[in-house]
Amino acid sequence: MAKQLGFFVDINKCTGCKACQVACKDKNDLPTGIRWRRVFQYEGGQWVNQGSSVIPSDVYAYPVSAACMHCQNAVCTQVCPSGAMYKREDGIVQVDANKCIGCRYCSWACPYGAPQFNESLGVMTKCNMCVDLVDKGQRPACVEACPYRALDFGAVDELQAAHGNFNAPAPLPDPNITNPSVVYNPNKVTKFTGDTSGHIMNLEEL
Amino acid sequence: MNTREWALIIFTTLAQLAVGMLFVLLIVRSYASRVLGADKAAAWTNTPLYSVPVIMIAALIASLFHLGKVMNVIGAVPNLATSWMSREVVCSVTFTVLTVLFAFFEWRKIGSAALRIGLAWLAVVVGAVLLVSMSATYMLPAQPAWNTPATPINFFVASLLLGILGSAAGLVATAKSQAEEAGVQDALKVVLKSCALAAVLLLGIELLILPMYIAYLSTQGLAAIRSIYLMATEYGALLFLRLLLVFIGAGVLAFYLYQKASVAGGEKSFGTLAYTAFALVFISELLGRVLFYATHYRIGV
Repeated sequence: MAKQLGFFVDINKCTGCKACQVACKDKNDLPTGIRWRRVFQYEGGQWVNQGSSVIPSDVYAYPVSAACMHCQNAVCTQVCPSGAMYKREDGIVQVDANKCIGCRYCSWACPYGAPQFNESLGVMTKCNMCVDLVDKGQRPACVEACPYRALDFGAVDELQAAHGNFNAPAPLPDPNITNPSVVYNPNKVTKFTGDTSGHIMNLEEL
Repeated sequence: MNTREWALIIFTTLAQLAVGMLFVLLIVRSYASRVLGADKAAAWTNTPLYSVPVIMIAALIASLFHLGKVMNVIGAVPNLATSWMSREVVCSVTFTVLTVLFAFFEWRKIGSAALRIGLAWLAVVVGAVLLVSMSATYMLPAQPAWNTPATPINFFVASLLLGILGSAAGLVATAKSQAEEAGVQDALKVVLKSCALAAVLLLGIELLILPMYIAYLSTQGLAAIRSIYLMATEYGALLFLRLLLVFIGAGVLAFYLYQKASVAGGEKSFGTLAYTAFALVFISELLGRVLFYATHYRIGV
């Protein structure tokens, strides 16, 4: 059986430039409003008065690039009534547009907001890890496009062996719900899932 | 709220009405058969019973408007092993088929009376499983506002309340045409008093569940608190209207219905009270379902 594939995101290297997001939209020809890969800008901290100065106190900001996590406990495939949402042998979660009834139930169940409804097609769509490229031995468009080499993909156990098994940066949800196939390399200010000290500052872009 | 969710608001409310009405009408049928005889009981209760498959077919048609690709709907059932929505679809269709068969057999007098009533009770059992499936469909870990015991409790209470008041309205309507039949008016009074009492009891449960639900949500994290905030602000007026209508319908009017059914000469008010109570509660449950879909927040991103 093929190994479960997943993404690696190095928050230390990522600058939040969104080249991955744009490359994904371009490669998959995604319409307005649909973003299979999104870059969340998570920020927190405050400025405090000190004498005549105003100085930053614990101010932090970091980007979190996230797409479908191709979860090992993929709730989208479990709830899908038609079986349109399915997992391949290599763990990539895909939608079969010929089976999808467009009920959007998967989008209610996925805590990562990965399945997104395409109004013009009437079906759900989501990141398929550029399966056409992967099957040809190439890398997903987002990974190829990253100018800082902050993104990678491969077998999850190999990614974990190389980078650790951290998969819970805020603002992402508790990974225990779906066991996402992803590894993040946190930087020194990265907060854990469930953190309430910060906010997603670029909601209008997501 | 996504506009397509209007289809689900109508589907769930009508399906709950249909299941509740069938359950209540079969109890009334059983009682009426004992006090009036089988033929009079059938003549009195059949028209409201025939409305059950009609309501359910309307519910199913409404549900199709939720889908992005209706042409694929026939494939909506293969994931029965893990998908509560698949189970909900199967139960909805099975319930509809059973109620259509019951109505047809009853109309054409096919099979024995016991067989026909047995078929209807089988539909009630499937209807109860439908309500369980419908509730479980929404009890997703990513949806704290839905993933609470309040979802199945509210769905069952709504089904019973709508079923009781819908049946009462239907039975008052058909009793008018049976006015000359001895005993029908007396049986109607007994049924209306029981319906009114049950409606007040169910109203009490609905009013009790709401504060408990909000208290529970307040402990379930940020997404759940956002749901409470929406209920209190943007949808506060809707929540107030929903509570006001159900209080008037299942409380005040049900109380008057009980009073009128307890005194001689109260029959003239039955229609006005029963129809208005049902209409108000039906609108209230629709508004409650709007709140259900409008105030849920998914956890995560």
